[in-house]
Amino acid sequence: METFEPMTGPTASVETEFVAVTAGGLEPTLRGRASARRKRPSGKDESALIERLKAGDQEAFEAIFDLYSPKLYRVAQRILGEVADTQEVIQDVFWTVYRKAKSFRGNSQLSTWLYRLTINAALGKIRREKKHSKEVEYEEYLPKFQEDGHHLVRPVVDWSDTLDEKFAKQELQGLLSAALDQLKPLDKSVVVLSDLEGMSDKEIAKTTGLTVSAVKTRLHRARLFLRGKLAVHLGYSAA
Amino acid sequence: MAKRKAATKALTNKSCRQISDLVFDYLNEKLTPATKRDFEQHLSICPDCVSFLNTYKKTVAVTSSVKVEQLPPKVRENILAFLRKRIRRIGAFLIFLATYLAA
Ligand SMILES: [Zn+2]
Repeated sequence: METFEPMTGPTASVETEFVAVTAGGLEPTLRGRASARRKRPSGKDESALIERLKAGDQEAFEAIFDLYSPKLYRVAQRILGEVADTQEVIQDVFWTVYRKAKSFRGNSQLSTWLYRLTINAALGKIRREKKHSKEVEYEEYLPKFQEDGHHLVRPVVDWSDTLDEKFAKQELQGLLSAALDQLKPLDKSVVVLSDLEGMSDKEIAKTTGLTVSAVKTRLHRARLFLRGKLAVHLGYSAA
Repeated sequence: MAKRKAATKALTNKSCRQISDLVFDYLNEKLTPATKRDFEQHLSICPDCVSFLNTYKKTVAVTSSVKVEQLPPKVRENILAFLRKRIRRIGAFLIFLATYLAA
């Protein structure tokens, strides 16, 4: 089993939180601000938003939703693949945010908390529904070496310049998507956060609960696997 | 110095395997100057590792460019509708509770 630890939920009693939220004016402000595109707030603006959310401010809740839902959707969608699943995950994430905002301590960044909730929810969904059945052994696609440390298959072909010529953009996207889907779910999450979202290893560690060195190891192996997949598709050895 | 020479020799003579282990930190510019020098010296004499490095870099570049579906407006609306409904339900429940307790 993966070493991933599910996030421990905040402890404040649900009723207390709800009362607090209601006191701040429950119903009115969620509606009607649908398409307002908001600029990313500064850290100061964001903490103000969080404080308002904690006080039950609906407008703040929706501002946070609009700030983060596009990013979180992208991440969850990439991990899960299906729109319906992704929608469910994002709903759950923001429902949790709404209920547990009061217990958000602010010693981590809001974005880290949100990404963490999203990764947890997505991986939980995969685990519960056993959606990940087509896992592939990485070994076959990793580089191999002779006993003296040289590459096993030589010469190693440099296909980096010919890849784009050989495949249409669409085809390459499909190929890589399929390869990504063969990664272990946690490894895929790490790749998505790193290579698609541009997070640092340290941020990924905070988000996933892995150590930085575990993040590096997973990311490296996953990249080697993807590289091997591309090589094989081009008709070369993965080694 | 002797130690460094030995390390260089090991990398240049036989350790493509080591190169593949170091690639990750090399690209993140996390290698110590000495290891980086050894790494690059190995590359200068090993076309196989140059190919390996190029294809590794290309893999990362292609992965980064994978298109991801953006949040469709309809889905955004669905999610908000779901959240509003839940929030309303809790509000109604709390009003009922307050009324009940007051009675
Ligand atoms: Zn080599």
